[in-house]
Amino acid sequence: MQDKPMLEIRHFSKSYGGGKKAVDDLSLQVMPGDIYGFIGHNGAGKSTTIRAVVGVLDFKEGEIFIGGHSAKREPLACKQITAYIPDNPDLYENLTGIQYLNFIADVFAIGGREREERIRRYADQFEMTADLGNLISSYSHGMKQKLAIISALIHEPRLLVLDEPFVGLDPKATFTLKEIMHQMCDRGTAIFFSTHVLDVAEKLCNKVAIIKHGRLIAAGSMAELTEGHSLEEAFLEVDGDER
Amino acid sequence: MKGSLLLLRTMRRASGRWNVYRHTADGKLRRKIVMGWVGLAVLYAMLVFYSGAMAFGYGEIGFQDVVPGVCALTVSALAFIMTLFRTNGYLFGFREYDLVMSLPFSARTVALSKFLLMYVRLLPWYLSLSLPMLVGYGLYARAGVWVYPVWVVLTLALPVIPMVAASFVGFLIARISAGFRKTNIVQTVLTFAFVLFCFSLRFIIEDVFRDDAVDAVLIQAAEALDGAISTYPPAAWFTGAVTGENWLGGPLLLSASAALLALVFWIVGGAYRNINSALQSHAAGKRFRMKAQHRRSAEVAIAWKELRRLLGSTNYMVNGAMGEVLAALLGVATLVIGFDKLVALVTNNAPFDPAILHPAIPFIVYFLIGMMATTACSPSLEGKNFWILQSLPLSMQTVYRGKMLFNMALTVPFMAFATLCLCLSAHVSAVHTALYLLLGLALCAFSTAWGCVCGVRFRKLDWGNEIEVIKQGTAVALYLLPNMFVVMGLTVLVVVLGRRMDHAVLALLFTAIAGLLALLSYLRVMKLAEKE
Repeated sequence: MQDKPMLEIRHFSKSYGGGKKAVDDLSLQVMPGDIYGFIGHNGAGKSTTIRAVVGVLDFKEGEIFIGGHSAKREPLACKQITAYIPDNPDLYENLTGIQYLNFIADVFAIGGREREERIRRYADQFEMTADLGNLISSYSHGMKQKLAIISALIHEPRLLVLDEPFVGLDPKATFTLKEIMHQMCDRGTAIFFSTHVLDVAEKLCNKVAIIKHGRLIAAGSMAELTEGHSLEEAFLEVDGDER
Repeated sequence: MKGSLLLLRTMRRASGRWNVYRHTADGKLRRKIVMGWVGLAVLYAMLVFYSGAMAFGYGEIGFQDVVPGVCALTVSALAFIMTLFRTNGYLFGFREYDLVMSLPFSARTVALSKFLLMYVRLLPWYLSLSLPMLVGYGLYARAGVWVYPVWVVLTLALPVIPMVAASFVGFLIARISAGFRKTNIVQTVLTFAFVLFCFSLRFIIEDVFRDDAVDAVLIQAAEALDGAISTYPPAAWFTGAVTGENWLGGPLLLSASAALLALVFWIVGGAYRNINSALQSHAAGKRFRMKAQHRRSAEVAIAWKELRRLLGSTNYMVNGAMGEVLAALLGVATLVIGFDKLVALVTNNAPFDPAILHPAIPFIVYFLIGMMATTACSPSLEGKNFWILQSLPLSMQTVYRGKMLFNMALTVPFMAFATLCLCLSAHVSAVHTALYLLLGLALCAFSTAWGCVCGVRFRKLDWGNEIEVIKQGTAVALYLLPNMFVVMGLTVLVVVLGRRMDHAVLALLFTAIAGLLALLSYLRVMKLAEKE
């Protein structure tokens, strides 16, 4: 494993209208090969943090580095090595699946043969190949989610950021995604994802951070955090301590 | 630029109907798309006819030399106004913002691609205006063959500067609004204020160029046109290039357009993410305290929901309530200035008795009030939330009745206020005032029901940006343009008939016609709703 973090968040804060802080002085590091779970209640600040990481949300306080590049000063260099899968992907509904994947492949300048091979591989894994010629507007929520995942994987990112990735996926697709996450992790890709499903986080992640009311209340390796208990018990304990 | 073109290509494909037509197996949807195209073709044809008639009219009276100037100014004005109403929806707060911004595109690239998409979408309107004028000018001025390609190429550049200017105004408004807690309200108020300023600017410009010593209206108009052309350099460049008087005009127009585009989007790109972040975040509300809750009928509940939808969107407010704001301002202006003086101001002191306009008062007010019916776009605005209405134990008739109720509640008070102001100022008798109010009510009912027919018939739920259905949807275009042209025609007709007929009889006659059309449209809505 390399010792330079793939994602480093330093003292990140974000306020919305009314001065309320959605995220308050959050710092964490995700190393290459990490599968890092980001857990917390609804409205805790998970999506705000994730949207700032992937360059969607503007922020003033703090710094975010991806592969050593500053998200503020070098956003394109950061995005070039990052893939983002939102919780409710708003894709171009009037494109077909294959048109959308080709658009993403064009953006990342993936050659014809490579893109064909990767699209085929991931679409087969998610059982989407037969549907790629249909309009995205005709897809179910789960199919849109699968397409968003395929589009995130075809450019082989070094940092994969996912917001509630398992919502809407069928059991087979959930299993496939977890397998792919393990494979990517073995290749040195860093994965940072938010989830409510503590069982999934416990089985999948080697590191976890817990956020509450915008503040990081616990972070570390799974073993450090759980100390022999389940993640659910550990979560409820630190959550209770903060009340 | 490469990234912008890639994004433009994808967004054009994703927001147009051609790709859906190609890939859908749904025959009903395909027919609907074709009908939408036919409707748009009819509207383009109307514009071609209007523009051609103007060019040929100038040619017939020997004024063919003013045609290039008229073309340049008309296209520029159209480009400015159309962009101003769209820029907020196109540039900011669009649905796929997260998707696009998470890809390796700079904010400038994204902003520029959205501008280019707006340009490509509006181009058919500009060409529908410009090309018939080219034909008229070419025939009457016996223009050389080279004029045709030069005119076409420069027509493509002509809208760029006004569009960039309007986009920059939209950007400034969004930038200022982003600093406030109630972003949406500030943005709406500033947009209204700027649009009203633009409307008043027309009178200021005309006042500057007016020469009271010149009596002939046509000569006066031509001189005003010359003045406007010399004030707006792109129009002078275009005119000089196509008439051969200024060979540098073409290169100047092209290079100035490119330079301004690059400069403005360099500035816009710098604050783009900041503005979008501010527009997407909402101020945290105070802690909710439960108060007494009241029961409403289903129709009133739908109408109430429509009001919240209108107030929650700058795009919807600016486009949906502009006519009402203008009508209210017209009413106040008439009371302050006086009906006769206002008529003289608007018609450049044309020599006629303002009293002949009395029977046209309901149509003048309706021209503003009926500019847009919320019912034309509200069925489409349901978008992905349409399932909520579908899953409720409500018939679609009830839903559309609620939407129509809201439009009536929005339009009737403003109609009544403006009509009363105009009638009071024009010293119209009480009986006639009552009849004009009745006619206004019938016209509002017609606007509401006919708008709903268009809205239901051409409902589009799979939009990516609400401006697609508020401003440029087939439903809105099919409601808006014919309604506008017919009202202009009716205003002239009623003035002509008013010279020979009693005004009360005339008002009753038109009330009956408008009422009948409203009833037929209402029944059509109910029938369409029954099929859903």
